[in-house]
Amino acid sequence: MSRIQGGLIDRSRKLSFTFNGKPYQGCAGDTLASALLANGVQLIGRSFKYHRPRGVFSAGSEEPNALVELSGGARQEPNTRATGIELYDGLQANSQNHIGSLSHDLLALNDLFSPFFAAGFYYKTFMWPRAFWEKLYEPAIRRAAGLGALSMLPDPDSYDRGYLHPDLLVIGGGAAGLMAALTAGRAGAQVVLADEDFMLGGRLLAEDTAIADLPGAAWAKEVTTELQSLPNVRLMTRTTVFGAYDHGIYGAVERVSDHIADPGASVRQTLWRITAKRTILATGATERHIPFENNDRPGIMLSGAMRAYANRWAVTPQAKAGDPIAIFTNNDDGHRTALALAAKGVALHGVIDTRAGAKSLGDYETFAGATITGSKGRKGLKSIRIAQAGRSEWIDCGALGVAGGWNPNVHLASHHRGRPVWDADKLTFVPDADSLPGLHIAGAAAGQGTTAEALADGARAAMAALSEIGLSAAPADIPRAGEEPTGIEAFWHVPGKGRAWVDFQNDVTVKDIKLAHQENMRPVEHLKRWTTLGMATDQGKTANVTALAVMAELTGKTIPETGTTIFRPPYTPVSLGVLGGGDSGANFRPHRLTPTHAWAESQGAVFVEVGQWMRAQWFPQPDEIHWRESVDREAKAVRDAVGVCDVTTLGKIDVQGPDAAEFLNRIYANMMGTVKPGKVRYGLMLREDGHAYDDGTCACLAEGHYVVTTTTANAGLVYQRMEFARQCLWPDLDVTLISTTDAWAQLAVAGPKSRELLSRIVDDFDMSNDAFPFMSCSELTVCGGLRARLFRISFSGELAYEIAVPARYGNALMERLIEVGQDLGVTPYGTEALGVLRIEKGHAAGNELNGQTTANMLGMQRMVSLKKDSIGAVMSRREGLIGDKRRLVGFVPVDATQPVVAGSHLITQGDPVDMEHDQGWITSACYSPHLGSAIGLGYLENGDQRFDEEVIAANPLEGVSVRLRVVSPHFIDPEGERLRD
Amino acid sequence: MTELKPITALGAVAPRVLETVRYSLRENDGVAFASLVLPADRPAPAVFGIDLPEPGKYAQGDAGKSAFWTARHQWMIEGASLAETDFAAALKAELPEGRVSEQTDGWITFDIFGTKPEAITALLERIVNLPAATLDPGCATRTSFEHMSAYFVRRSDTHLSVIGMRTLAGSLWHALETVIRRLDVDG
Amino acid sequence: MLIPHPLLGLRDAQEFTYLGDANMMARPDPTGPDAEAAFCDYVFLRDNPAGVHRELWFHEQGDRSWLVVTRNTVTHEILSAELATDVARKDA
Repeated sequence: MSRIQGGLIDRSRKLSFTFNGKPYQGCAGDTLASALLANGVQLIGRSFKYHRPRGVFSAGSEEPNALVELSGGARQEPNTRATGIELYDGLQANSQNHIGSLSHDLLALNDLFSPFFAAGFYYKTFMWPRAFWEKLYEPAIRRAAGLGALSMLPDPDSYDRGYLHPDLLVIGGGAAGLMAALTAGRAGAQVVLADEDFMLGGRLLAEDTAIADLPGAAWAKEVTTELQSLPNVRLMTRTTVFGAYDHGIYGAVERVSDHIADPGASVRQTLWRITAKRTILATGATERHIPFENNDRPGIMLSGAMRAYANRWAVTPQAKAGDPIAIFTNNDDGHRTALALAAKGVALHGVIDTRAGAKSLGDYETFAGATITGSKGRKGLKSIRIAQAGRSEWIDCGALGVAGGWNPNVHLASHHRGRPVWDADKLTFVPDADSLPGLHIAGAAAGQGTTAEALADGARAAMAALSEIGLSAAPADIPRAGEEPTGIEAFWHVPGKGRAWVDFQNDVTVKDIKLAHQENMRPVEHLKRWTTLGMATDQGKTANVTALAVMAELTGKTIPETGTTIFRPPYTPVSLGVLGGGDSGANFRPHRLTPTHAWAESQGAVFVEVGQWMRAQWFPQPDEIHWRESVDREAKAVRDAVGVCDVTTLGKIDVQGPDAAEFLNRIYANMMGTVKPGKVRYGLMLREDGHAYDDGTCACLAEGHYVVTTTTANAGLVYQRMEFARQCLWPDLDVTLISTTDAWAQLAVAGPKSRELLSRIVDDFDMSNDAFPFMSCSELTVCGGLRARLFRISFSGELAYEIAVPARYGNALMERLIEVGQDLGVTPYGTEALGVLRIEKGHAAGNELNGQTTANMLGMQRMVSLKKDSIGAVMSRREGLIGDKRRLVGFVPVDATQPVVAGSHLITQGDPVDMEHDQGWITSACYSPHLGSAIGLGYLENGDQRFDEEVIAANPLEGVSVRLRVVSPHFIDPEGERLRD
Repeated sequence: MTELKPITALGAVAPRVLETVRYSLRENDGVAFASLVLPADRPAPAVFGIDLPEPGKYAQGDAGKSAFWTARHQWMIEGASLAETDFAAALKAELPEGRVSEQTDGWITFDIFGTKPEAITALLERIVNLPAATLDPGCATRTSFEHMSAYFVRRSDTHLSVIGMRTLAGSLWHALETVIRRLDVDG
Repeated sequence: MLIPHPLLGLRDAQEFTYLGDANMMARPDPTGPDAEAAFCDYVFLRDNPAGVHRELWFHEQGDRSWLVVTRNTVTHEILSAELATDVARKDA
């Protein structure tokens, strides 16, 4: 390791890490980038397109070059910025985007063929021959493109989320942010201060500026200590606020354990959704560079970054310590780097300043009115060519800092299309102060770049923000700080014939911008797409404004006339894992369990997900191998004896009030309000457009008190629509709706022996057909005093009941029914048998009520009452709906060994199988153990008049056609005697 | 009393309990619930000694009875340790003009006790997207948590009840346990 | 977004589901002479303005109230939120 004096690293805590398998050492407080530089590693990656050797270019999240893959098995993470990775003991990093080793990348060949890869080459090169696209071009491009690789293993980490609601969110913990947090914190406001770095201080950590007679970093530490002592202030380091959303909502990712080799039980990252009354954007600024020929070599970096490495991390970026360093600048800030390096005794060539009148600010040489016109050094900078007064000269150079001026970090301010405005004095875009409601911008982010300006601006912004929300803060005592020189003269790129990089990550050069201009891709949006400028992980943080300036020069317009550059979220890449957050695998989403779930599990039931519900699909017996055996047995048991099925999932809505009857009449197509206490009625709901929506039953428990059931799938939606009708359409009806789905365990008890079975558990209740006929309901007690509700309704077509008890007793009731019904052959049945039974009976379900069907098609046209208005009634009488001649009918295969496949289309015999001759489709199909063949339900043109006709069920998907006979949809008991028995 | 044996929302004979360093999470299967709706045109009377609370609030009454606001003119009435009774009938008897729906087994209470008030605050930051004051002691509100809908009732500075749909009890417990264990680690 | 619930204060839009144009509350008279045409307009035609829009939101994860929210669809600024029941009674 080679370090210079000073710095904020802890030299006593050594950390071991590897890069491309080779072991190195760094110090606590290092980033991966600073540690690599300390070890003399300049070459860190390869560029995207030309595979040019690249090194560290910046000291922050703007890094375009030094992207590495963090290893660790399943934890492998590509495209992480070495400049933002906090070094930890045991870190393993690898370079990426090369075939073969980093220093001998086979794809470096691309660089020789660079004329073919100019801007727009995607669009031009791969147009022909057409057949080459899928087989050759795309696979080759996909292999070559993209940077790092995923592990392809499941993510072993967990992620958390959280919500914060501060009065004030301060984004950025530099001079302005700290001063803002301090002002608001002392005033007692709830403050959240978030910074992506692991230390607070921002640029103060990288400078040698003094504040209140302390080094800037020491002042930052002092303020941090005070803020930590305030209970109303929350400091969040390692936290990137990545997006600004509506109404003061910001998204932030906290890297909880990314800096720890073994996170143990800790989450990796937390996604914070921060809803702030006011926000201060104190995100500082990012430095620009000045393109010149071959300006992309390892060893060339931003001048401010070079200063940061020297001041904070005590490193300089040469391959060999002691090699002299040069600075290329168009402004005073470049000279500050020279001063900082000189102060630490680093060898300097001097400052190459484009300004004719430039002067040294200290003891180093300044080349005024000079530029750099070339560089050498394949894998690391060796020499640069300085041009001055018409002469040029090559000089040896170990590293070069480039200073092109600073761009305020306007990103979050432009997430809502806030357009930055050009400041012609500062030669930069500054954010529009009104870009986002509730957002105050302070410090370098607002173009207030000196330390003294930033401190004052942070305090000002905090006071302004607090006063808007009715809080007052005492005027802050602004500590003394120096005013750094900020002189700058426009100089955007060094003209020349060679390639001068503007966007390093995407290999976009000045030439590419010229080509885009020549091809009329001049608006910034076109420039971006044509050249790929500003794309990928860095989103052009160090490139966009420079590119705009180059385009302005080409078009002869001013920069603001040429365009502005705005940004979308996220500020830096966010892992999908943290956005997904929460659970994965079995707990990926919540599951609703029925009250008999524990019992069903004990019976070895096979479960099926139905929306959120886990329902028993069938109950296999030990000797049953195929699922059909179980389902056939269960369905037959219902037809022959008695079966029990948990139907708790059906939605239950308690409807009460003096106007409940009238309300139900308006909700249901049929007359529902006349159902009397102790009775149940089947009901059909339409959508307002006249199509069938949902069906179910309505039981009248007492005068003005009803329980409505809905299908499982629509339970939530029907409730929502009923509330819409109650609140928005008919607010004058006095009616109350309460969802009670979960409160009651409801079991269907179906089959000829269901009455006998239930009579064994009811307390003193007359189950006879006379006392409790079909479509009756009653409250009663069972099993020695348990309150229950009994409904005599049937989905299977058999004599059947549904019994409801408080949910906690559902499991025990199921056990009891199975126990006391053994001699009756009682059989639990699942959703699959339930489906078979309802198809056999011709009951419509979800497949039939698919949103395109009408009461007519269901054969329920008479249910749409003409005596009253109801939702959908008017529209159901439209010509197109009333004229629909398709009818729900049943189908059996002519050859009983043939299957019926749901989704098959129905064609009249002799007609061609095409859409023009389509006569309808099969909605539901199953094997009917009762009939001993496959059966189906479906909609068929004039189906109700075509019984016994043979039609073709065409299944072109599988190339199969089956002849079906049209029959009544009621395969079982068409007269409905069994359920009334 | 019925001869049938009930099971808890989590499917066991006895309620589940989790004790960690900073928290205690307890399934409370004993709470009876009934929703109460009162006609809009009259002032809300007291019931079981409870002054029916304003929007967003929770109030206690006599002998373990309490209530929280659920919607305009609508409250959830709670009866501690009364789950085995016909609580809805008792409420209806108390307030014949009210519209009462039995909800006892519609919901399940998970009581969370923090060692300190800060433990509850830290938990709330992870589970509800609401300003802290929305769930100060004496407050109650419904919101979503991990794709589930639940009531959050702050009974005291160290006691939060999360009342979720009974059929979601397993998922709700899992989600709460996950957060609680993480907070023990990451604080 | 944050929606200012008239009873519960600012609540995150995640708690709500969106329906659309508040004209959905103006259900036509089913006995009117042009009832079918009026219903066709009601069911199928909606304004979709870039600007101020009155729309219906359902507080599904909260108190189950329907709200009429007046919102600028360009800026997302919310100008008001009222209980739909109150609006419906006023309009009736």
